[in-house]
Amino acid sequence: MDPNRPRRLSGNRGYRPIVAVNPQQPPCPRETELRDSETWVVVPLYNEAAVIARVLKGLRRRFANVVVVDDGSADDSVEAARPHATWLLRHLVNRGQGAALQTGTAFALARGARRIAHFDADGQHDVRDLERMVERVADGACDIALGNRFADRGSNVPAGRRLLLKSAVLFHRVCSGIELSDVHNGLRVFSREAAERLEITADRMAHASELIDLIARSGLRVEEIPVHIRYDEYSREKGQRWTGGFRILFHYLVGRILD
Amino acid sequence: MTPFQWILVSSFAALAALATVAVVAGRLGRVAGLCWVAAFVVGGLAAIEPDRVTTVANALGIHRGADLLLYLLVLAVFWGFLLVYVRLRRVRRELTVLVRHVAILEAEQGGSDPTRTDASTAESPSHH
Repeated sequence: MDPNRPRRLSGNRGYRPIVAVNPQQPPCPRETELRDSETWVVVPLYNEAAVIARVLKGLRRRFANVVVVDDGSADDSVEAARPHATWLLRHLVNRGQGAALQTGTAFALARGARRIAHFDADGQHDVRDLERMVERVADGACDIALGNRFADRGSNVPAGRRLLLKSAVLFHRVCSGIELSDVHNGLRVFSREAAERLEITADRMAHASELIDLIARSGLRVEEIPVHIRYDEYSREKGQRWTGGFRILFHYLVGRILD
Repeated sequence: MTPFQWILVSSFAALAALATVAVVAGRLGRVAGLCWVAAFVVGGLAAIEPDRVTTVANALGIHRGADLLLYLLVLAVFWGFLLVYVRLRRVRRELTVLVRHVAILEAEQGGSDPTRTDASTAESPSHH
């Protein structure tokens, strides 16, 4: 067998191998020049002018369809994102991250996306992790791939954040009956069928908890993939605090009672 | 009756009349309308004969009729807050649907992908 022959990744319908790779080696996104046109990456954007261009550049190297949903940013985020986004959608008024994700998802589904990915705009996520997650969904190994920062030793999760996130994990283990290790990770990949079935109605940050509930009830196959979360000064300032955690809990519980 | 009792009774009567008109006009459901009218009638009676309220309060284990009215008022206020909150959530959700609709209608294509310098730069997004 010619080792230089282009290698077809089994069941990986969204990738188009362009250069040859050694078939003896496992598929590694770093070594293969791939550009996925069937996975639509939804990036909810809110006041991230400082980092959004870098985030989108990284995504566009690997994904042909990057949908940026600006959620009423008050800074220059839209101007910074416009040259690098495939599609730019704008909420006229701020409706929250959950609403932005659902807007991007609805748009991508209407345009025929085979898979939908969620990717945060603050630069915490790694595109290579997203590629690995997409590959699992594209291969049919699962319907939903969720990022798990606690399985990655490189993710230096601050102690306070770790406690907050682990509390959320425990909460969902009891309330939703689903055993996951990281329930508030913004890096997710859904098959088309999964994205159609899981509609986010929690507009603000409680959408992550709502999604876990919906996933638990859906019977869809879920897999957690180790991902690296970058904790730098910028992301630490932007990240959720305990007060935010309590607000999310309040909105989540109210939503469960009233909706 | 004292002048204040007249004011209270007149107010309750007017409210009961408004609720009745709302039911007749179809702006308020029959059950809800009946509840409102009953509440206003009870309020009017309590204004006319406050001693009866004390009797009812004593029967419920509350010392004063005024305390019973206070407790009922607190309950009514909380119930009102809940109704307003539920309605506010519904309006917010409708606003989100509207904002989403406009965002999708006015979706704009981004730049020409400056990160690419090879042949795939010319690739357009897949429209299915």
